[in-house]
Amino acid sequence: MNERLSSRLTFMGFVIVGLFSALFIRLWYLQVLTYEESTVEARANQIEVVVTPPTRGRILDRHGVVMADNVRTGVVTVDKSRYAPGELDMVLSELSAVLDIDVATLRSRLDDNQSHPLAAKVVATDLDEEGLLRVSERSLPGVTAQWQMRRTYPLNEVGAHVVGYVGALPASEASRFLDDGYLLAERVGRAGVENLFEPFLHGTPGITQLEVDSQGRVHRIIDAVPAEPGQDIVLTIDSQLQAATESYLRQGLLAARKTVSDDSGFFYPAIGGAAVVMDLRNGDVLAMASHPTYDPNWLVEGIAGEVYRSVFENDLFPGVLNNRAVQGLYAPGSTFKTVTALGGLEAGLISPRAAFYDLGYYTIPEKYNCSGRCTFYNADRLALGVVDLSGAMTRSSDAYFYRVGNELWHLPTEDRFAIQNMARQLGFGRQTGIQLPFEKGGRIPDDEVKRTLFESNPEAYNPYGDPVIWLPGDNINTAIGQGLVVVTPMQLANAYAALANGGTLFAPNIVDRRVSRSAENFGEVLQEYEARIMRTVEFPPGTSVVVEGLNGITSFTRRGTAWKAFQGYAQDEYCVAGKTGTSQADGINPVLQRKKEDTALFVAWAPCYDPRYVVAVVMEEAGFGGEAAAPVARQIIEAVRAYEQRWPEPQIAFVAPRPECPEIPEALRGDPAFLSFVPEGCPWGIPIPRANREGDADGDGVPDDEQEAGD
Amino acid sequence: MGLPVRKELRSPLRYTDYSLAGAAVAVALIGVAMNYAATWRQLEFDGGDPAFFAKRQAVFVGLGVIAMIGAAAVDYRFFRDFASQGYLIVLGFLVAVLFVGAEKNGARSWFELPGLAFQLQPSEFAKVAVVLSLAAFVANHEGHLKTDALINALLLVVVPMVLIFLQPDIGTMLVFVAIAMGMLLVAGAQIRHIVFTTTLGIVAILVVFGSDDLGGPKLIRQNQENRLTAFINPDFDPSGASYSLNQSQIAVGAGGLTGQGWLEGSQTTLDLIPEQETDFIFTALAEEFGFLGSTAVLLLYGYILFRIWRIAATARDLFGTFVCVGMLSMFLFQLFQNVGMTVGIMPITGITLPFMSHGGSSALVAFASIGVVLNVGSRRHMPV
Repeated sequence: MNERLSSRLTFMGFVIVGLFSALFIRLWYLQVLTYEESTVEARANQIEVVVTPPTRGRILDRHGVVMADNVRTGVVTVDKSRYAPGELDMVLSELSAVLDIDVATLRSRLDDNQSHPLAAKVVATDLDEEGLLRVSERSLPGVTAQWQMRRTYPLNEVGAHVVGYVGALPASEASRFLDDGYLLAERVGRAGVENLFEPFLHGTPGITQLEVDSQGRVHRIIDAVPAEPGQDIVLTIDSQLQAATESYLRQGLLAARKTVSDDSGFFYPAIGGAAVVMDLRNGDVLAMASHPTYDPNWLVEGIAGEVYRSVFENDLFPGVLNNRAVQGLYAPGSTFKTVTALGGLEAGLISPRAAFYDLGYYTIPEKYNCSGRCTFYNADRLALGVVDLSGAMTRSSDAYFYRVGNELWHLPTEDRFAIQNMARQLGFGRQTGIQLPFEKGGRIPDDEVKRTLFESNPEAYNPYGDPVIWLPGDNINTAIGQGLVVVTPMQLANAYAALANGGTLFAPNIVDRRVSRSAENFGEVLQEYEARIMRTVEFPPGTSVVVEGLNGITSFTRRGTAWKAFQGYAQDEYCVAGKTGTSQADGINPVLQRKKEDTALFVAWAPCYDPRYVVAVVMEEAGFGGEAAAPVARQIIEAVRAYEQRWPEPQIAFVAPRPECPEIPEALRGDPAFLSFVPEGCPWGIPIPRANREGDADGDGVPDDEQEAGD
Repeated sequence: MGLPVRKELRSPLRYTDYSLAGAAVAVALIGVAMNYAATWRQLEFDGGDPAFFAKRQAVFVGLGVIAMIGAAAVDYRFFRDFASQGYLIVLGFLVAVLFVGAEKNGARSWFELPGLAFQLQPSEFAKVAVVLSLAAFVANHEGHLKTDALINALLLVVVPMVLIFLQPDIGTMLVFVAIAMGMLLVAGAQIRHIVFTTTLGIVAILVVFGSDDLGGPKLIRQNQENRLTAFINPDFDPSGASYSLNQSQIAVGAGGLTGQGWLEGSQTTLDLIPEQETDFIFTALAEEFGFLGSTAVLLLYGYILFRIWRIAATARDLFGTFVCVGMLSMFLFQLFQNVGMTVGIMPITGITLPFMSHGGSSALVAFASIGVVLNVGSRRHMPV
């Protein structure tokens, strides 16, 4: 052993020590210093979370007729992200052969934007068991063929705007929904009750946490929370009355399109309208129609492109998806005179029985030092002669209310805004609070509102540079429901309901109750939407004269403005009180390029002296309230009467929903192991006798000898 | 000692380093236990005998101990005299395996032995053959290597390396580099020789890896290049090349200070680490017994290396010293490379952890190597 050899061996020893030190330091770092991070990563490695979408709750009318339901359907989906761009062609051509759908159609379905861009796209629906098998036996990667629940609307377009529809997660809110446990492919309510009651309808997704190994094999179920079905929403709508209301509104609009306008000499375009039927005793909305309308199934299943465009992108009949009953803003016209009359009475300005000579126009008296426009004409410049308040209501005297508007303006006290105050008391100018999304609040103008509008948007509201102060002319226009006043049909109905029922203003209800469908408390009513009283309006003395005037609206002898529409109506059996309205619409019809035709309105309650239902009808560009809207209202009131006879008190008859029966293979139905999973009322919860077995003559599953031993 | 030994001063039995043999057997038994831990759950899942791999490894360890005793029994100078014949036989096997070897994971490294439960890996035996013949060669030069002798010595190593590269089995090939470097360093190669050969080696590696970029044929396979890329950039292809790297580090880290306990390691039982019973056996130990357990096993290895080093220093002739240095280099490199890759300080190459990894050839060679070292140590007082 020489010196050099041993020094080289020593060097090697140092190398060994150095390398070992490196290993120790690294182990210390991994196992002691960064232990926490590794543990977190290790956990995430092993747990796979499987989310089962819940069954969406149904939407039913007040008597249990299902308006939105789920059907099981065989669906083929393709996950585009699994493929490089070129690879997709092979899969599509193979799918096209199996499904008998041409490749171009499949490709267009892959590119649709109905669902989230990252979600697997549905390329075929309505497959049966065999169709699903045929696709799945190909075992194409990224292609799944499975049963899915699909939203369906059995009544088609009936109640479409109330029920709403479901669609893909909106891009703006997608992340919020995903945080709440939604799946990318899930549909959420985009309109109506479907939208507003989304959290209740959706239910709770089932979450199963599995411990899996590298091959994806399940070693252990860590936690399994079954999906909880969404709640049923029971509406206050009566589907039959709803269908009638929609049908009469449509017929009325079609009739208006065959009527020639005196103003323009053309047919009325009658581009749309809304009708509301409400129980004025508790604020339940029984029917709410909006036209033009659509079938929500089109939006769920998809329709041909040209049909879609003709319905949803039709410029002549715009806003198909808008519920005009709560989103449409209309000048109320003469229907607002009731408010003016009540305001004038409140201010002490109107003596109800004082005579007024209607000359067909109203000129602001000299003493007020009028400047600018000082003479205001009746709509048709017709002089009505001597009227009192009642007659002014029945015959719709503009001049009478011009005077009220003008003289209120000149009052020195707070009462100069008596019309506006009364309007706000009756719920105008703000949302009614009905359980529907996107409700508009309307506008009741006064000096402040006018100034804000004129200053914020001069092009639209003040193109000629008019003074921004509140002028007598503004108040006069407001008095007959023109100018800056806009209301929704729902507000109109609600305000007349408050007048008819003696002053109770409700927040209308369109949802009656929420019913649980979960296994523990199936059928239990989780929340009953009681009548919500917003306020009690104190009506001034003389209100009875206003009501008397409204009672005469259908009367020929009293020259009621709707007498023609109610010719031959059984007024003594189911009498109608109400008010017509014909309001001028600002602006130009963008398609026809001519001045917009008048909006026809009619608000009424029935029966006159025992008011139970209020009906409001608004028809855009359809002519006179008495000629276009009143006949529709008459038909709706007749339908309401039929409804009352169909559902005599008590009016709410609860029809229990059918339980949702889980799928259990034929052979296992009645098996004790599954009994706990089957809700009561499902046919396969009942044990099936198994007769004809050797040694078990009575077929109860227990061998004969054991049975005797037990007995 | 109850053995019937002759109480003769120079008896090899008297000077045999039983603590070295004991440490090797202890590590091997821990290896059997870890083989069980790494495989029982998957075997049970597949409906097999959960102890199948552990039992097989126990048999290998038994065979290994027999090989160790055998290698320790005959005077090691016998190996020196027959080193060239053994070397040629192994070369023959290495050539043969390229043609008749069984292909596994794209490499022809194995002989399928019909009727036998395990396969034979000639490159494992080549390590021993190269150590013995290289030791014999440099011992003949009395520890002073001239340039031409050095080239001859390098040729001894390079020929089997090229054959193994053709399989290809980069990991085992690198073991030969380590053996050559360690032995030539101690054998008295001059510093400039070492610098020159190291530079040559680095250039060769760069040429091999960059061959396709330089316009030539691709000499290494894509997955090998990917593994190196993954080592430098752990986020590269996380489900592919970086998978083993990241998973093994997570498993090691999840062990913590004291470990999750025997058969309790979640990464281990859930089979999240590929090749865990062979190349990644250390992760099972690290996860289930933590820093303390893995340190203890590393210290056992350190003891083994220390004893080999001691025997190298006290051998009666240069051949004995060089044999021990070769074995030392081989164990040191395999240990550092294997444990290093599981903790992420070395790139991933298919290389076994001596005594612990599942495998017959590996166990046989490791124990036989220890046997040779024991042989050298036990005859240190014999006349030269």
